[in-house]
Amino acid sequence: MPSNPEVQVAASDHKGWGAGQAPVRLGKYLAIAKINLHQAIVYRSNVLGGLLFYTLFIFVFYSLWQAIYHGGEVQGYSLKQVVWYLSITELLVFGCRTPVFTQMNEDIKTGALAYQLIRPCHYVGYQFAGAVGRMIFNLACFGILAVVLGMVMVGPLPDYALTTLPCGILSACLGLIINFFLLMCLGLTAFRLEENSAFYLVYQKLVFMLGMFIPLEFLPGWLQRIARWLPFPYVAWAPARLLVAFSWPLFWQILPLQAIWALIAIGLSLLLYHQGMRGLQANGG
Amino acid sequence: MSKGHQLRSIFNLIGLYFRVNLASAMEYRSAFMIQAFGMVLSNGSFVFFWWIAFNQIGARIGGYDFTDVMFIWAVTSSAFGTANILFANMNHISRLIISGELDTFLLQPKSVLISVLCARTSLSAWGDLLYGFILIALTQGADGQAWLMYFCGLAIGALLMTAVAVTAHTLTFYLGDASTLAGMSVEFIVNFCIYPKGIYAGWVQVLMATLIPATFMVHLPLQLARQFDPLLFSGLLLVSAAYCALAWFFFYRGLRRYESGNLIVTRL
Amino acid sequence: MPMNMIEAYGLSKTYRTRVRGEGLAASARAMFRPVYREVLAVQSIDLVVQPGEIVAFIGPNGAGKSTTIKMMTGILRPNSGSIRVLDLDPVRERSRLSYHIGTVFGQKSQLWFHLPPTDSFTLLGRIYDVEPGVLKKRIAVLAERFELGALLDVPVRKMSLGQRIRCEVAASLLHEPEILFLDEPTIGLDVVVKQAIRELIRELNQEKGTTIFLTSHDAGDVEHVCRRAIVIDHGRIVLDQPVKKLKYDYLNRKIIAVRFTEEHDLKPLPGVEVLKTGGLGSRLTVDTRIRPIGEVMSWLVGSGGVADITVEDPPMEAIIAAIFSSQDESAGSSGHEKRP
Repeated sequence: MPSNPEVQVAASDHKGWGAGQAPVRLGKYLAIAKINLHQAIVYRSNVLGGLLFYTLFIFVFYSLWQAIYHGGEVQGYSLKQVVWYLSITELLVFGCRTPVFTQMNEDIKTGALAYQLIRPCHYVGYQFAGAVGRMIFNLACFGILAVVLGMVMVGPLPDYALTTLPCGILSACLGLIINFFLLMCLGLTAFRLEENSAFYLVYQKLVFMLGMFIPLEFLPGWLQRIARWLPFPYVAWAPARLLVAFSWPLFWQILPLQAIWALIAIGLSLLLYHQGMRGLQANGG
Repeated sequence: MSKGHQLRSIFNLIGLYFRVNLASAMEYRSAFMIQAFGMVLSNGSFVFFWWIAFNQIGARIGGYDFTDVMFIWAVTSSAFGTANILFANMNHISRLIISGELDTFLLQPKSVLISVLCARTSLSAWGDLLYGFILIALTQGADGQAWLMYFCGLAIGALLMTAVAVTAHTLTFYLGDASTLAGMSVEFIVNFCIYPKGIYAGWVQVLMATLIPATFMVHLPLQLARQFDPLLFSGLLLVSAAYCALAWFFFYRGLRRYESGNLIVTRL
Repeated sequence: MPMNMIEAYGLSKTYRTRVRGEGLAASARAMFRPVYREVLAVQSIDLVVQPGEIVAFIGPNGAGKSTTIKMMTGILRPNSGSIRVLDLDPVRERSRLSYHIGTVFGQKSQLWFHLPPTDSFTLLGRIYDVEPGVLKKRIAVLAERFELGALLDVPVRKMSLGQRIRCEVAASLLHEPEILFLDEPTIGLDVVVKQAIRELIRELNQEKGTTIFLTSHDAGDVEHVCRRAIVIDHGRIVLDQPVKKLKYDYLNRKIIAVRFTEEHDLKPLPGVEVLKTGGLGSRLTVDTRIRPIGEVMSWLVGSGGVADITVEDPPMEAIIAAIFSSQDESAGSSGHEKRP
């Protein structure tokens, strides 16, 4: 394969960084996040359609749950809780969706990745910082909307302990991290596979079914038991559950698992990335 | 030209574009298969949801039982699929208006609206169409009346969805880029089609019989599948034809303001 | 044929554009009470085109060329004035007219990007109601004429721009139109391909008698293809005369860029103006009425050490400027009102 000189330069440049010879400067990642946040604010009208869709979705499910519930509780969730639950999972999965999968796919397949590497910063970190910047904006917009909708439709949860809110938010951050890096792993399979969009669809549906649409507790027992060993419920179910029905024992049970899954996802994406890069350098893009 | 002749020439044109579109899709066979499969899978996750919901709650939700919900799901999915196989360009009309890409169609002797609508297809839509078909086969069995109304609902649904999208996009002639609005209108229709009508408050049901005609697309066909009523059925056909005629008229009205991509400010 | 192919009198087109202020408050206000500004794209144009003519419609960008062509083909409706094409009203009888006109809009393809042109040809044949047997023959003839043989089964996305334009022109001829409108047909093409397209257009006119109406801002298109040139600027016709005369009056200047192997000083000659000299490269303009281009070339070669010579047409903007300045000299003589 004829190799592009620019690609060669980029790849060898990157080698130095990948080997960790240069100090990691967090400042530049902060700057990347900042500029992405700025861009999101400049293109703020892009978020309008999403907000409208979010409202529609919550309204439809609010109507649905209202028809289903005749007072009382289902699997420990009251109507109020289940509506808040859904507004949180939708906020995390839909509101904070990132294009990382398609982005990685495109960068790898078009060879644009090589040009990204000319910059002296780690590609994975670059992507993550960018996503964080965009997410902050979306989190703010959808978060405010989620609270407004929840308040208007079902009102505040009774006897809610605001002091436990930070714990729930921490869990939400971990959920977002797990989601981002799992998607990145799937995107990185493009190094090896010509067509990998099926992975993405399957992943998305697993997150939908195992916690986003309905609390995990609603699933049949056998399925719940399997699901708890998989990473998918820790994206949406875990934080939403902790935010609408907090308990310390549950928190100490969920949080370590989330942390472990986050570490696994980060580790796996770094591994896939470096393996892919080695292949790229060997074959010259 | 007589009305009958006009209608036949429209069908011919749709058929013509369908064949070329299919040939275009076949250029990307593997992407086609994967997208279609992906859609089947994607829609499957909703069945999972309903299965859980009915398991937890009991026999009826909003007046519909499980097979009823599967029926409206199947019709919606197949109608959406059909609309996007035949008329996928309905999602892009605003952009075509703004960028002046209607020129190509205006230069041709055939109906502008039909040519525009048909000039593109969606690969994943085949999955939607197929999925509805599978769902009906699995849940309605050999219920002839259900099958008949499935096909009627499929046709009416596809036409109404297209009519509403065309109407919304036509606003671009008057207001500037209406693509967000139009995109949302399709989302709204789909969402009000796939849940039992009974879960909604009265004012929403009014919307569902006017601006977002979900009632005519799936809920009435379901009612007719369970208990056929010739009067209601002819009413349904008439109302559907009226929606299409309105969209047609509105589009050609708006077309007079077409500026061929010159100097339109592109924002709503 | 006694009738005129195109007849336009007092043709005008005004666009309304929305004026948008800066900032959130202004755009919110604009949503409820939009402010419009009128832009006069075409202002009272009169023109008549007879059968078999090859007309160049030229002018700088934004002069109103495309707007006029779009009014002639029924895409845009004029604000005032009357227009008849093949004795039809382009807007009201758009679909009848479309059977008799062909269009090539350089920027807008009528071919399907992912498919080989054969498929597009078949579709277009059906759209224009050409009998399948007849269509087959025409495709064969066009394929030979345009040298498309090997291209017919190649998806359009894999073609070069030149190949694509050849297919575009062929596609617009499937229904044997009486008038062919070409909007910037040679834009972005290299010299050789440009020349090929120009020849095809000329032959088409000679053999089939097809009337050609072509917009361009390439002086070469005009010089090599057309017999009559209409110059439009700021929405008004500023000149309408045979290309021969235009050539004599305005296209007589050529720009020559020379590169020498060593530093060289050129002295001006009568009819040759030296724009830049001294150093390795020089630029000259030649008035070919005074001094034929061949003479200048041999003069240059004779001065020794020539590494490279390029001869260019002056850009359209320069020609328009020349037209204006000459009209200033003989104000009113052209018969067209002019307001620079």
